[in-house]
Amino acid sequence: MRREGYALIAPLTAFLLLLLGFPLVVDLVYSVSKVGFETIRAPTITGLGNYATALADREFWAAAWFSLRFGVLVAVIELAAGLALATFLAPLFEKRPWLIAVLMLPMMVAPALVGLMYRLILHEFVGVVPYYLMLWRGDFPAFLSNANAFTTLVVVESLQWTPFALLILHSAYAAIPLEVREAAALDGAGALKRLLYIDLPLMAPAAAVTFLIRFIDSFRVFDNIYTLVGAGAGGATTSMSIYIYQAFFKVGDIGLAVAASMLLLAGSFVALYAINWLGARAVAA
Amino acid sequence: MRKRLVQALRWLVFALAALAMNFPVLSTFVTSLKSDAEISSNASLWIAKPTLDNYRDIFAMQDRFDILHYLANSLIVSLIGSALAIGLAFPAAYAMARFGVGRRWLLPLVVNLRAVPLIIFAIPIYLMYQRLALLDTRIGLALILALVNVPLALVLFSTAIRELPLEIEEAARVDGAGTLRLLIHVVAPMSLSIGAATAVLAFILSWNEFLFGLMLTTSRATPVSVGASFFFAASGGGVRWGVAAAVMILATLPPLVLGLAMYRQIGRSMTAGAVKG
Repeated sequence: MRREGYALIAPLTAFLLLLLGFPLVVDLVYSVSKVGFETIRAPTITGLGNYATALADREFWAAAWFSLRFGVLVAVIELAAGLALATFLAPLFEKRPWLIAVLMLPMMVAPALVGLMYRLILHEFVGVVPYYLMLWRGDFPAFLSNANAFTTLVVVESLQWTPFALLILHSAYAAIPLEVREAAALDGAGALKRLLYIDLPLMAPAAAVTFLIRFIDSFRVFDNIYTLVGAGAGGATTSMSIYIYQAFFKVGDIGLAVAASMLLLAGSFVALYAINWLGARAVAA
Repeated sequence: MRKRLVQALRWLVFALAALAMNFPVLSTFVTSLKSDAEISSNASLWIAKPTLDNYRDIFAMQDRFDILHYLANSLIVSLIGSALAIGLAFPAAYAMARFGVGRRWLLPLVVNLRAVPLIIFAIPIYLMYQRLALLDTRIGLALILALVNVPLALVLFSTAIRELPLEIEEAARVDGAGTLRLLIHVVAPMSLSIGAATAVLAFILSWNEFLFGLMLTTSRATPVSVGASFFFAASGGGVRWGVAAAVMILATLPPLVLGLAMYRQIGRSMTAGAVKG
């Protein structure tokens, strides 16, 4: 039986070794080597120079800071908006479940295309948002300027992915047994009290998961930044993913790009470890 | 009275949220129905003279930017990518659930993969593909899409299979069915609903993938998520916004329609993937 079991997981294991294991080894070797596109098959091991370069690069830290700030801010906004919508609109969804499909639609659109769409929507001459802002206030900001690009991207990302928070939190809300709420109501708890002392605590695990998933996904943001502002805005929108992409494709510095990749991987492991540790504690508690 | 007021407020909030969240697609759709002249003179959401010219003009550029080619690429790589992910994950999930193989190391590894930015592996994959002549091929891109979808498929299948009743499998065993036959004739049919939910979500995620499409393709295998941006530079001088908008609508329509038709399944698999993963 066990032998058969190993046969069944063999294809997946081989697939992962090929597409993850091998690249990881290449990453490791190249990150401690001097390597260019000409010397791609004969890298010379040079030590930790690439890591030192990355860690000394102001842009590397700027990218790390961008991703962290972006990830946290977006996750907080989406969690808050998702919680508010899931609890306030619950009576609507209960009677007409298909309504939630309307709010799930944004998740079906490629983030890359959403970025492109905003290029049109925010365009100073043909964009609909500047048009209406002009009518309303007689002025509109330069959405993609150095100073405003971060805020614009936070709004773009949050509008597209609040539906995810809403979906997860809605199903957590719907899973709360009716008797619990009824009992609380019988005890004289008002709507606000029930929300604060019954619903929100019971939804806390789902909220934590939502926050983590959305943080992880926004931290590695690439698509909509690339299509909406490219590497523009004077580096004000360089996320970690954009940084690595540029180091490789624009600068051609393979060593730096893979060293940055490895640092990102190390960072992900630390985050994962923290998450699992928190998860284990939450289960124990 | 107060109750009805709150209810009205709920509808208002719902309408505003739906409008704000779906605004990019709605607004782009409006633009795609305007003539070039109207786009430059009227940026509002009102269309004075609706026209389908932009959709016709997409195909006039076919010699330089072939939308049908991009759409076909997306369709094929998404189908292969989703099918491959399911084909790899389904037997593995069964082995984990029933034999306990790989549950301690493979499952956590794959599940945690969801949290690792895949760009980390992008550069070696690019170099490897260059060497294997897989750059700009559909099969090359499809392999990566399978990699992207494997965590989701594995989580969904292993949860679903664990919940299947053991008795039916035991009965089939008694009747002399081997593991492979059992898997194909007993377990697979019982996992059809989760399989469909996984397939739909994997297809949509594949269709919308951008980073690897951008890195690993140049023309022959370009998916529509990447190809759509080509139309922004399509006509030398200014961007033909109407055509660009029409292209974006066409590129968005397949996952949008699929999402609307199967929102229950997608909602279920997204929630299950999030909670169990």
